[in-house]
Amino acid sequence: MSKYLSFEAEIFANRRLLLAALADIGYADVEEGEALTLYGYQGDARADTAEIVVRRQHVGAASNDLGFRRTAAGYVPIISVFDQRTLLSGQLVVRLRTAYSERVVQEVQRRLHGTARRTVEGSVVKIRVRF
Amino acid sequence: MPEIDFTIDRQSGRLALHIKGIAGPACDNVAKLAKELLGEPGREQPTAEYHLRPQVRPQIRSQSGARGG
Repeated sequence: MSKYLSFEAEIFANRRLLLAALADIGYADVEEGEALTLYGYQGDARADTAEIVVRRQHVGAASNDLGFRRTAAGYVPIISVFDQRTLLSGQLVVRLRTAYSERVVQEVQRRLHGTARRTVEGSVVKIRVRF
Repeated sequence: MPEIDFTIDRQSGRLALHIKGIAGPACDNVAKLAKELLGEPGREQPTAEYHLRPQVRPQIRSQSGARGG
């Protein structure tokens, strides 16, 4: 009657929640399409393509496009090492992952018609959903 | 009352959840929902509670209040 699961992979399984999480951390302007070309900070086309793209104009002057390539498992981020180190004080991926996790909890609560109680202990957020 | 305890580590972005108080198959349904939104978990572990069978007691209605006669 009880089960424990932990999730660590840098894959975002749900498109809608990924878009919401991106907006939560300040990247609401996204482009969607099939195999969109990603561009580097100098406007150079990169070899990588993605289905969800935050164009560099919305990221920062020295930044590259942020991409998310759709795979069978979900959306895989394509983010340059430079951007991972510099954007949001080097916390881009962690902040996105955290925002996505918060969105997942909201979605589970909604689907189960549950109530949520949230507590914060340092850097750890605990949310209990009852249904 | 069934519940899910979510733990989000804001330093790593990792999410863990503990499903409690739900009988076996229903527990799996909640786990399935979590996997739909999060992908395959790095770790999945039924806890001791999981293996408990839900207790179903037959209900016997008393006829003590029978009318008639």
